[in-house]
Amino acid sequence: MDRTTGEPAPFVIVVQGPPQVGKSLLIKSLIKHYTKHNLPEVRGPITIVSGKQRRLQFVECPNDINGMIDCAKFADLALLLIDGSYGFEMETFEFLNILQNHGFPRVMGVLTHLDKFKDVKKLKKTKQRLKHRFWTEIYDGAKLFYLSGLIHGKYTKREVHNLARFISVMKFPPLSWRVSHPYILVDRLEDVTPPEKVHMNSKCDRNVTLYGYLRGCNLKKGAKAHIAGVGDYPLSGITALADPCPLPSAAKKKGLRDKEKLFYAPMSGLGDLLYDKDAVYININDHFVQYSKDDGTSAEGLQKATQRDVGVDLVKSLQKTRYSVDEKLEKSFITLFGKKPISPSEVPIGSVDAHDVADKEIPLEPVEKYQSEIVDEDDESDEDSDTEGEDDLESSDGEKKTIKKPSSKSIDESSEEETFYASEQHSPAQSNFKEQIDVHDGRVRRRAVFENEMVTDDKDSGDEDDSDSSDDDNTENGDDEYASSHSDSSADDEEDNEDEMGNVSKWKESLSERTAARRKINLMQLVYGKPESKSSDEMKEISDEGSEDDEFFKPKGEGNKISQKGIHENDVDIDDCSKFLSNVSLKDWSSDDMVASIRDRFVTGDWSKASLRNQLSKGTDGDEDDEAFGDFEDLETGQKYESHGTDEVGGSRKDNDLAAEERKLKKLALHEGNDGNDETKVSRGQTNASGFYDKLKEEMELRKQVNIAELNELDEVTRVEIEGYRTGSYLRLEFRDVPFEMVENFDPCHPILVGGLALGEENVGYMQVRLKRHRWHKKVLKTRDPIIVSIGWRRYQTVPIYAIEDHNGRHRMLKYTPEHMHCLAMFWGPLAPPHTGVVAIQNLSSNQASFRITATATVMEFNHAARIVKKIKLVGYACKIFKKTAFIEEMFTSNLEIARFQGAAIRTVSGIRGQVKKAAKEEIGNKSKKKGGATREGIARCTFEDKIKKGDIVFLRAWTQVEVPQFYNPLTTALQPRNETWQGMKTVSELRWENNLPVPVNKDSLYKPIERKQRKFNPLVIPKSLQAALPFASKPKDIPFRKRSLLENRRAVVMEPKERKVHALVQHLQLIRSNKMKKQKIKDDVKRKARAVELAKEEQISKKRQREERRGRYIEQEKQNKKIRRKTES
Amino acid sequence: MGKIQYMRLKGSQNLRLRLLLSTLSTTPIIIEDIRAEATWPGLRPYEVSFLRLLEKISDDCRVEINETGTSLKYKPGIVMGGRHLVHDCGTTRSIGYFLEPLILLGLFAKKPLTIRLKGITNDSKDPCVDTFRSTTLPMLKQFGVPSEGLELKIESRGVPPLGGGEVVLSVPIIQDSLKAITWIDEGMVKRIRGHTFSTKVSVQFENIMIHAARGIFNSFLPDVHIFTDHKAGQQAGNSPGYGISLVAETTSGCYISADTSVSYAQGKEEGELEEEKQELSPPEDVGIKIANILLAEIEQGGVVDSTHQGLLFLLCALCPQDVSKVRVGKLSPYGIGVLRHIRDFLGVKFVIKPDPSTETVILKCVGCGLKNLSRKIS
Repeated sequence: MDRTTGEPAPFVIVVQGPPQVGKSLLIKSLIKHYTKHNLPEVRGPITIVSGKQRRLQFVECPNDINGMIDCAKFADLALLLIDGSYGFEMETFEFLNILQNHGFPRVMGVLTHLDKFKDVKKLKKTKQRLKHRFWTEIYDGAKLFYLSGLIHGKYTKREVHNLARFISVMKFPPLSWRVSHPYILVDRLEDVTPPEKVHMNSKCDRNVTLYGYLRGCNLKKGAKAHIAGVGDYPLSGITALADPCPLPSAAKKKGLRDKEKLFYAPMSGLGDLLYDKDAVYININDHFVQYSKDDGTSAEGLQKATQRDVGVDLVKSLQKTRYSVDEKLEKSFITLFGKKPISPSEVPIGSVDAHDVADKEIPLEPVEKYQSEIVDEDDESDEDSDTEGEDDLESSDGEKKTIKKPSSKSIDESSEEETFYASEQHSPAQSNFKEQIDVHDGRVRRRAVFENEMVTDDKDSGDEDDSDSSDDDNTENGDDEYASSHSDSSADDEEDNEDEMGNVSKWKESLSERTAARRKINLMQLVYGKPESKSSDEMKEISDEGSEDDEFFKPKGEGNKISQKGIHENDVDIDDCSKFLSNVSLKDWSSDDMVASIRDRFVTGDWSKASLRNQLSKGTDGDEDDEAFGDFEDLETGQKYESHGTDEVGGSRKDNDLAAEERKLKKLALHEGNDGNDETKVSRGQTNASGFYDKLKEEMELRKQVNIAELNELDEVTRVEIEGYRTGSYLRLEFRDVPFEMVENFDPCHPILVGGLALGEENVGYMQVRLKRHRWHKKVLKTRDPIIVSIGWRRYQTVPIYAIEDHNGRHRMLKYTPEHMHCLAMFWGPLAPPHTGVVAIQNLSSNQASFRITATATVMEFNHAARIVKKIKLVGYACKIFKKTAFIEEMFTSNLEIARFQGAAIRTVSGIRGQVKKAAKEEIGNKSKKKGGATREGIARCTFEDKIKKGDIVFLRAWTQVEVPQFYNPLTTALQPRNETWQGMKTVSELRWENNLPVPVNKDSLYKPIERKQRKFNPLVIPKSLQAALPFASKPKDIPFRKRSLLENRRAVVMEPKERKVHALVQHLQLIRSNKMKKQKIKDDVKRKARAVELAKEEQISKKRQREERRGRYIEQEKQNKKIRRKTES
Repeated sequence: MGKIQYMRLKGSQNLRLRLLLSTLSTTPIIIEDIRAEATWPGLRPYEVSFLRLLEKISDDCRVEINETGTSLKYKPGIVMGGRHLVHDCGTTRSIGYFLEPLILLGLFAKKPLTIRLKGITNDSKDPCVDTFRSTTLPMLKQFGVPSEGLELKIESRGVPPLGGGEVVLSVPIIQDSLKAITWIDEGMVKRIRGHTFSTKVSVQFENIMIHAARGIFNSFLPDVHIFTDHKAGQQAGNSPGYGISLVAETTSGCYISADTSVSYAQGKEEGELEEEKQELSPPEDVGIKIANILLAEIEQGGVVDSTHQGLLFLLCALCPQDVSKVRVGKLSPYGIGVLRHIRDFLGVKFVIKPDPSTETVILKCVGCGLKNLSRKIS
C-alpha cells in the first residue's frame, strides 16, 4: 500500500546502456531541454524541476554490475539505451533481469546510433526486429524510442522534446518492496570528520553526512540503514533540510517560468548554492573572487570597527586568518551571546569555533541546546511580562504582600547587579555568563541553563530566582528539588492562579500559547519522560496540574496515579500484572446520585446524551477545552475545530481541502460516477459491487485519507516523532565510523543508495529461496560454490546449498541445480522478508562476454535452522552368522550409535531384508574379536528374513543432515577503487584453475566396461538312491548319448527251440496278415475308383437334366413375360 | 556476522512484556538486577516457566540465566507455533499471565498455535480465562485477526493454591499484518453477561454471587445474564474456590470486563501464619464488589477496560504504518509501562491526548509495520 503523502520526491530516471552508447549525451540533452543549461559532465544524480507538479532526478547507470544492481533498486523509470547499429548487448538484458527481480519499475527503450544506417529499408527492418525482441522481453507494446542521430553532437531537439513528453506523462506504480522501506539516493556526500583527527591518522574511521530525498516510506529516527556497498550503520542523526530544488509555488499560471526551472546537481558541481543544516555554501568561481585590501593596522581597525559596518568587519576578519583553527581555539573563549564584537578578529571566529566543537563532539546536542536557549529566552521574556503584569496587578490590588516583597526585592537586586556588571564590563576577560546577564538587562528570573554551571555565583547573588528567600536549598539542588517540593509549587500555583484571575490581555497571548504548547505534550511527557534539558519548568508544570487542573479534566484518582507513576519509575521490581487493582477506591453504586452519574452509559439511559458524549469527544478539544482552560486556546481551537468538524460531518469538504487533486486522480482511476462525497457509506456500498479490486483500492484510499487527517492535526515536532520524516523531504543523514575508504574512493559517477532496514532485517539467519538457474547461464550451479546474491538493499556473497522438496516434505540436497526447474536454495545471510526478489551472480568482472546473471530467486521463508538432508548408506559385513541372526561389523562405530539405529531396516545386496536389533553382547560371539582385552564396539546384532551368507554385504539406508555453511561476505564495492573488481571467496574450480591442480579422481567412481565371465555350472546330479525312489515322471529321462551301446543291446540272444517255433509262427502270422491287408487295400482302391467314375457320370447326367429343366423354365417365363408386356401394351 | 548487539535493561518489572517485545522485534536483550536486592533474589518460578514456554514455541531461542537468577540473557528465535504443545504453567501464577503474551506471539508464528496450558485458571491477580474468552478474543477481531481458529477451551478449572486446571488455546496466524483501527466510539452498554464458577464447593455460592451482582445492575439495565459453571470431580482441579467474571457489552462492540476469584492464598510460607487470619470474603461481597468494579470501569470510559489497555496498545503498535486511534479510560500503570516499552523496542510513540469532556484519553500512533515474517510462502 502506498502511504506517501504530500509532494513526492523527484522521480529517479536511470539511464542505462552499454558503454559508448550515448548515455551521458542523452542526459545532457534532456537537461538542456528542461533547463536550458549546458551540462559539462554528468556526475551523480541531477535533480531538475520538469513541470509544475513534477521533479525528475537523472542518474547515469555505471557500467559495472554492482552499479547496475544498485540502480535497479532505486529507478522509477529506466531508459535502456541500445545501440541500434549493433543490436542488443548483454548489459541491457542483465539490467532488465535485475529490474524484474527487484520489482519491475517502468522501462523505456531508446535506440541510438541509428544514423549509421545508410539504407532506409535496412534501418526499418532493424528497428522492427529490435522492437519485437524488446517486446518479448518486457511486454507487447512496450515503448521503444528512436533517436535518429546527432546534430552538432547533440540529439535532435524534436526527438529529445518528444522523449521528455513521454517521461512527463509517465505514471509510476508503487512497488511493494520500496513502499515498505525508506531509501535515499544520495546526491551529496560530505566528510564531517574533525580535520585534526584525519590529520593525525588519515585512515581513521570517518563521519559522513549523506544528503538526498527520502523515498519509499517514512523514516524514523534511530532506524538502521544499509549503505549499498558499505554496510549497515545506525543513523546517528537525521535532519530535514529545506528542499534544494523545490516545486514552483502553486500559482495559477501555465507552464514553468524560466526562474523556476531549477536544477540541483551538487556532485556535478552545478548550482551555486548549497544548503546545509547550519550553513549555506556559495560557490564562486576563482576569477570572480577579489579580496579587498587588508588594513594591516589592526589597532586602528579595532577602533574603527566599532563605528563601521559589522558585515564588513566580519568579512575582513575572515580574510586575515593567520592562525589555524585550533590555535585560535586555544586562545579564544566561547561566546554564546555576544552583544557586540569585543574584538573584531576574535569574535566571529570564536563563535564559529564554538559551533564546530559542539558540532563535532556531540552533534545532537547543539540544536537542543540552542533550542532550549531560545525557549529559555522566550520564557524569560514571558516571565518578564508576567512579572510586569503581576506588578501591575499587585499595585492595583494591593493584596498579597508576601509575593510583592520578593519581586520588589528582586528588582532591587537586579538594579544592583546591573551596576555591578556594568562595572565589570570594562574588564574584557570575564566569563560570558555576565555578558548574558548584560544582554537581558531588565530580567531577573530564570537562568535555567546557567544555573548549574554557576551555582556559586547564584549563591552569591542571592535568590533572585525564587520567590521565597527561605528556600535556600532550592537553588542549590536546582530543578529536581523544585519539582518535588510541594511548598514551592504551591507558591507557584498561587502565582499562576493570580495570573489567571487577572485577565490582562497584555500577557494573555504569550501565556496561552505557552500553556497550549505544554498541555499537548503533557500526558506524553508523563508517559515518555521529557527531553533532558528543560526539566525544571516541565516538572513544575506537571505538579501544578496535579493539584490545580484536577477538577477540570482529570478523573478522580489521577493525581494519585501520577504519584504512583513517580514511584513506578524508581521501582524496577514491580510485580508484572496487567490487572489494575490499585485503583479500586470503590464507590457505592447503589446510591441514586451515583447511579445517575453513569446512567447515560447504558442503553436504558438517555441516548441523545450519550451520542452527545461521543460527538463531543470526537470533536475533542473543541469547545470543551475552551471551557476547561478558559480562553487559552483561542488560536488553536479554530484550527482544530475545523479539522475535526470536517472529520465527521462534511467529509466531502475535507476532501476538497486536503487533497483535491489526489482525489480527482483517484476518482478517475476508480471510474466513479458519484460526486465527491464518497466518504459516505452509501457510495461505498455502491463501489462494493464493482469488484474486489476496486473495493480494496477504495479502502486503501480511505485509510490514507484518515492517516493524513490524523497526522495533520499534530504539530511538526510530534508528527516527526510519531511517523518519522515524510517521504519527499530532503534529508541529511549522518553516519559515524564509516571506513575511510568510502570517502577515499568516493566516485560521484557511482550513485550511493541508502536503504532503511525494517524490523528484524539486520538479523542474520538461514534463508530459503526458490531458485532457478537463468536459462542463459551456461552451466548448472554447484552446491557450495559461492554466489553473490542481491536481496533487498544488500549484496553479499554466500554459500548456498541446493535442495529439492520430496513428496513427503523432506528437503533433499542436490549437488547441482536442475537444468530447467526451480529448486530450493538455502544460505546464510542477513534476513529479508518473504517474497523478496533475489538475483544471483557469480562473476562481477565486466570484461567477460557471457551473461553474468546466474540465477533468479524469491525468498520463501527464513529459519534459524537448516533442514536439508542427504542420503547416506552405512555398509557392514557379517562377522558371525547364526540361523537368521547375524552380527554385523563395520556398520557402526560405537554401541551408542547402534542404540540410535535400533529397529532400522537393513538389506543385503542379495535382497534379504532385515532389522537392526541391539549391540552384540560380549559373551555371544563377540569374544573372539577381542583386541587387546577390550571388546570391540560397534557390532550390531541384526535379524534377517533368511539366513545370510558370509560374503553378503549389508547396508543401511538413512538420511543425514547437511550443514549449510554460516558464511556471508558483504560486497564492499564502495570501499575500493571502482574500476577494481571485487574479489570474494573463490569457487573450488577457480582455485584449482589458478593453482593448476587437477580434479581429484576417485578411481572407484570411474565407469568401466563390465566384464562378466561365463559361468560354468556342474551338472545336476541326483543321487542314485533318490532317483530310484522317484516316480517315473520325476526321473531324469535325458539319457546321455553313448558311443558304445549298452551291454543289453550288445549281447547275443539265443532262443530256445520252442521259442524259435513260436517266434517263427508269430512271424508267419504277421506275414499273412500283412499280405491280407495289402490285397484288401488294392481291392479297396479299385472299388473307390469305380465309384468315382460312376459318381462323375451321374453328376454329368444330373447337370444335363437340370440345364434342360432350367431352360424349359426360362422359356416359360419368357413367354409369360411377353404376354404380360403385350397385355400392358395393349 | 558480528557480535550480537544486546539491549540492556534493568529490573524485573514487566519481564514478560520485555520478552514478548524482544521476540516480536527480534531484539536480543540482557536484563540485569532482577530482584537483586530482594530477600528472594532472581527470577520467580512463573517467570522461568514463561521462559520455558518461549523456548517451547520458538526455534533457536537462547536463554541464559546466571547462577543467582538476577540476570538474564535472551536471544529470541523464530516463533514456530505448532499443534499438540503442552505447557505446565505451575501454580505460582495463573494461566492468564501466560495467555496474554502467548496470543500475540501466536499471531506472528510460522504455523498456527495450539497449546494446552495447565495450572491455575482463575485467581484474583491475573485476568481469568473466562474474561479472556469473553473480552480479549473479541478484541483481537477488531484488528483483523481471523476468527476461525481463535479460541480458548476450558477443559477443567483450577484455583490456587494447587491449581489443576487445563485450557486449550488455539491462535491462528495472521497472513500479512494486522489492521490499523480507529476505535474511539465506546457506545453504550447494552447487555451484561457473566460467568461464575465454583470448584469443590457448593453451587449455592454461585447463586449468591449472581444474586448480589444482579442486585447492583438492576437499577441500570435488565439485560443481565450470568451463567453458572459448577465443576466437580476431575474438572474441578485440586483446590476449592469460586469466582465471577462479568462483561459489559456496548452498542459499538466494546467489551468491558471485571473478574475475581476467591480461594486460599497461594504462598505457603506466609500462608501458614496467616491462614487463620485471612478471611475469605463471602460470595455476596464478591458479587457486589465485582459488580462495582465493572461499573467503575464503565464509568471510566474507553473502549477497553484497564486490564486490557496494555494489550490494546501493543496491538496498535504492531499494526502496519497507518494511524490507529483508540480511546481508553485513565491510563493504568501497566498501560504506561507498555507504552514505554513499545517506544524502546518498536520505536513507536503514541500521541496521548486527554479528552476532558469524557475524562478519557485518546491515543494515536503510527504502527511499526510489523509483518509476519516467519510465515512460509507456498
